[in-house]
Amino acid sequence: MSMFGFGARQPTSAEKIAAVENELKMIATMHARMTKICSQKCIDATYREGDLAKGEAVCLDRCSAKFFEAHQKISDQLQSQSQAMAGAGGGGGFGI
Amino acid sequence: MDNLTKSEQQELETRLQKRQVKEFMTLFGGLVDNCFTACVDDFTSKALSGRENGCISRCVIKSMATQTRLSERFAELNQSMTAEMQNKRF
Repeated sequence: MSMFGFGARQPTSAEKIAAVENELKMIATMHARMTKICSQKCIDATYREGDLAKGEAVCLDRCSAKFFEAHQKISDQLQSQSQAMAGAGGGGGFGI
Repeated sequence: MDNLTKSEQQELETRLQKRQVKEFMTLFGGLVDNCFTACVDDFTSKALSGRENGCISRCVIKSMATQTRLSERFAELNQSMTAEMQNKRF
């Protein structure tokens, strides 16, 4: 039925829900990873103080920004690399 | 969210609520692991010492503050990343 173009077939309810759920899951995982890593890098683990020190707070802000930048950079790099590989390897006709 | 019908949204909602409970338990467990590891290292007594008690409360307060701050930044950054990706697509 759907020889041309994707999306000709309507996704089922379960598929649509799963797609949104997966996206949210990915975001939650990324948030958890970032929290763990930036806490490890920025927070003094002796806990002599209950408050976030100014330096720690600034460190957390910068750490999270850098985490996102690294995420973006690596994602771009992987994408261009896999595109280059697909281009070199070829595969007849239109890229599938 | 995107183009889900009412009933699909409801189904998603109940799933997310279940996940939230699970996530809270994970968070709680992580807090216990982290603060126990950071604060408790003396096993000459079976009760938490005053120092360990204080350390644990400070650890919990500080971890919550860390969590809050990082969540704020995460929301901002995630939003601008999504916006950027949408700009690229169209």
